[in-house]
Amino acid sequence: MKIFDFFDIDLTNFNHSKSRKIKLLVCSLIFVISFTTIGYRTITLASVKKDNLSKTVNKKIETRTFKENLRGNIYDRNNNILATTINTLSLNINPQEVLNKKETIAKLILIFPNLNSEKLLKKLNSNKKHINLLREISPKDYIRLLQIGIEGLKIQKSTKRIYPNNSLASHILGGTDIDGKGIAGIEKKFDSQLQEGESINLSIHSGIQHITKKLLSDQITRFEAEGGAGIVMNAKNGQVYSIVSLPDYNANNYNKTLSKKLFNKATKGIYELGSTLKLITAAIAFESKLINENEVFDVSKPLRVSSRIISDFHPLGYAINIPEVIVHSSNIGSAKIAEKFGPSIQLKYLRSLGLMNILSLEIPELGKPQVIMDKKVLSTMTISYGHGISITPMHLSSATATIVNNGIKVNPTLLLDKTSIENLKIISRETSMKMKSIMRLVVSNKYGTAKKAEVAGYLIGGKTGTAEKINPNGGYFKKKNIVAFTGAFPMNDPQFIITIMIDNPKGQRFSHGYRTAGWVAAPVVKRLVTRIAPILGVKPQLESSSKFSKNLLNYKIRGKNKGANL
Amino acid sequence: MIRYPSFLIIFVILFVAISLYQIKHFISKKEIELARITNDINDARSDLNILKAELSYLKRPDRLENIALNKLRLREILPTDIWNLKDLADVTDSINNGDLK
Repeated sequence: MKIFDFFDIDLTNFNHSKSRKIKLLVCSLIFVISFTTIGYRTITLASVKKDNLSKTVNKKIETRTFKENLRGNIYDRNNNILATTINTLSLNINPQEVLNKKETIAKLILIFPNLNSEKLLKKLNSNKKHINLLREISPKDYIRLLQIGIEGLKIQKSTKRIYPNNSLASHILGGTDIDGKGIAGIEKKFDSQLQEGESINLSIHSGIQHITKKLLSDQITRFEAEGGAGIVMNAKNGQVYSIVSLPDYNANNYNKTLSKKLFNKATKGIYELGSTLKLITAAIAFESKLINENEVFDVSKPLRVSSRIISDFHPLGYAINIPEVIVHSSNIGSAKIAEKFGPSIQLKYLRSLGLMNILSLEIPELGKPQVIMDKKVLSTMTISYGHGISITPMHLSSATATIVNNGIKVNPTLLLDKTSIENLKIISRETSMKMKSIMRLVVSNKYGTAKKAEVAGYLIGGKTGTAEKINPNGGYFKKKNIVAFTGAFPMNDPQFIITIMIDNPKGQRFSHGYRTAGWVAAPVVKRLVTRIAPILGVKPQLESSSKFSKNLLNYKIRGKNKGANL
Repeated sequence: MIRYPSFLIIFVILFVAISLYQIKHFISKKEIELARITNDINDARSDLNILKAELSYLKRPDRLENIALNKLRLREILPTDIWNLKDLADVTDSINNGDLK
């Protein structure tokens, strides 16, 4: 095929020289247009818009630099740094370039007295071309090294992840490995964003996190307990203000910490949280409408079901209604209520409250609840007062929030810019109001099991729970307890949820030997609310005010107090 | 004999060659500038992080608590220290009505 055949001109009808001229003209035109276009673009790029180009390039440089080099920061809700990355200098040496080894060692020890001369000599005598002497040197030492002048030394820039608050929120922050890759907590969950230089703003409040930790830690020491967990969460949008798990660790030493301390008791550990689950039983009872509000349950005698006997810590000699079952924390009453609504309804509500699934919290250390699902009467009864159901303290917080938030599901979140309102109604507003009223009575009523949590003005409400600790080898430890409190404040319009769990407290002389939640967990709540309410902007109010009486019901509680706080 | 279109083509080719050389030179300069700016930004950002971390370290809640309690001799705010006007009015009304003494 000839080169000009593509013009598809019938040459037989044209003069040869004329057609050649046309072809040449067309080709010239194409070349001129092409080169003019390229030339124009070249001029534009090279000179005309040089400044604009420079700005564009600079913008790209900045974005790329920020994203490529330093791992992003983690901030708390008030923009305080919880984790950041800084440049550090590491000291390396090429033994092959060292001329006078003894002199080099002497000079190095002058600056770094901790270096061992024998080990140094061994390193310098090796055949390697690159040996790391120190992973980190200070800028001061770097200048001294430059001044003193040592041949073969190589100073390399590296980065280091630091946590200025040491152990504060260490279980949430997690840690990074030696290469700066997130291996736990927020560091792992948001590794790709942090690697790209993006910062993360957590909903954690450093001050409240510290107060929760300190008060919980003090109580653990007072009762010689093994550990504990504490949670403060917004009752309306699920933002978590503090999550404490004790014992904790210094986040700067993550890789050197024992795995026992790394375990997050608040979100990963699952426990039978005892009578705190009675709140859910009461809510189901009200919501299912299978039980009349004034219906009473005889709790005067222990209840025998199959081979098990269900009894009360504090026996009452008469029939009691639902509010009294909760305030007196009656296992018999709770079991009888559960028997009425049955296993299917119980499991349906446990599922909808999120107590059978892993939470959607933004850390990888999350525990999966364990619930006996054989639908037997005995299981339904024991689950009603918190035995046969193991959940994390965070699950309990979330369920409590849903109950007091007019029944609208609350999913906890650790992110400041995320609110977990999905408008999923689990229980009705009426049931929620009844529950809030009963929870308030547990703390304010003279027969309530959480009297020691009462702070005048802050209208705390909640429920205590004491359960025997599960023995990993089967059965329960008879002398080891898990004590818990879950509640909210102020109960006429709950703003914040508080959940406290303490693992295996020992009876003390000042507690008359008691190691129940009323003695161990409730006082922590009192001290915690007293300290954090002013920070959170919750104003104290009078229980007699119209605002209070309008939002809560007044149940009458009968009974006599034998002195113990269950 | 060289004709006008040929002149134009030669001129355009020369111009493109020179421009390309200029661009290449310009890009080389920019790459050096990029490396320098990258380093500078990185260092500045690291310095900023150090300062922020130091500030955060100084503002540690346990340190502030220690200063407040031991140096400034402050105490925690009790509910009785805070009153809102609405409650105060309610109490006054209750006292006036004889509900409270």
